[in-house]
Amino acid sequence: MDFVILSIAMLAIGIYGLLTNRQLLKVFISIELIATAATLNFVMFASSTGQGLGQALLILAFSTDTAVSAVILALLVIVTKKYGTSNINEILKMQEKGESEAEA
Amino acid sequence: MILEVLSIGLLVSACLALYLDEVIYSVAALSGTFLFTALLYAVNGAVYAAIFQFAVGVGTLAILFLSGEMLSNKSLKKTSPQKTLALIGVGVVLALPAIFLSVSGSTGTYSDASFGDALWNYNGIDVVLQALVILTVALGIAIVLYERRNGGK
Repeated sequence: MDFVILSIAMLAIGIYGLLTNRQLLKVFISIELIATAATLNFVMFASSTGQGLGQALLILAFSTDTAVSAVILALLVIVTKKYGTSNINEILKMQEKGESEAEA
Repeated sequence: MILEVLSIGLLVSACLALYLDEVIYSVAALSGTFLFTALLYAVNGAVYAAIFQFAVGVGTLAILFLSGEMLSNKSLKKTSPQKTLALIGVGVVLALPAIFLSVSGSTGTYSDASFGDALWNYNGIDVVLQALVILTVALGIAIVLYERRNGGK
């Protein structure tokens, strides 16, 4: 059982979701998966060497991850309330429409 | 055996979290991902990490359920069971290399710090980074307030 490969598979799934999904909440879920892949490496290297340092640094990674999640969710709520949709394509279309109307 | 089952469950639930159309179902699948991750940590002896993963996961999921319910447009588009089963198969196939392959590397020099020692000794980094996060948030709030004040004029 090798957790590096498991972590790489998780990372690949997260990046695939990040590139293909157009819903903001799904993008957020993809970012969570990528963060989980990173923390998986932390813990598995720490537990395979029998040291506590990896687990201690993991808490640091969790705090950073939580802060990032809070900021992303706040942006997501603001954008969805402003444009009335959470689809990235529709938001971009609305932005372009607004810009062209402002120019005219 | 249990590690293999947990690995497959982790990857399948991660695939489902991205594939399912309904946001609530996606968040439910993500909860499975967090649960399997915490169980993997616990089985590998990283109990502290498992507890933290569980706590952070529960908080994130609560917020995601609320925001998902609040922001989603209730689409009634159904995902076909065949596609879902195919996706579960893809997740299992993706988990196979993690079960059967291995990466061997040279072992380096590691410190002898226990969890408590490491947490205490590296607390300085933690405090500095927390301060950085708070500073960033404060700067963001200041910029938003400044923009709002200028926009109001």
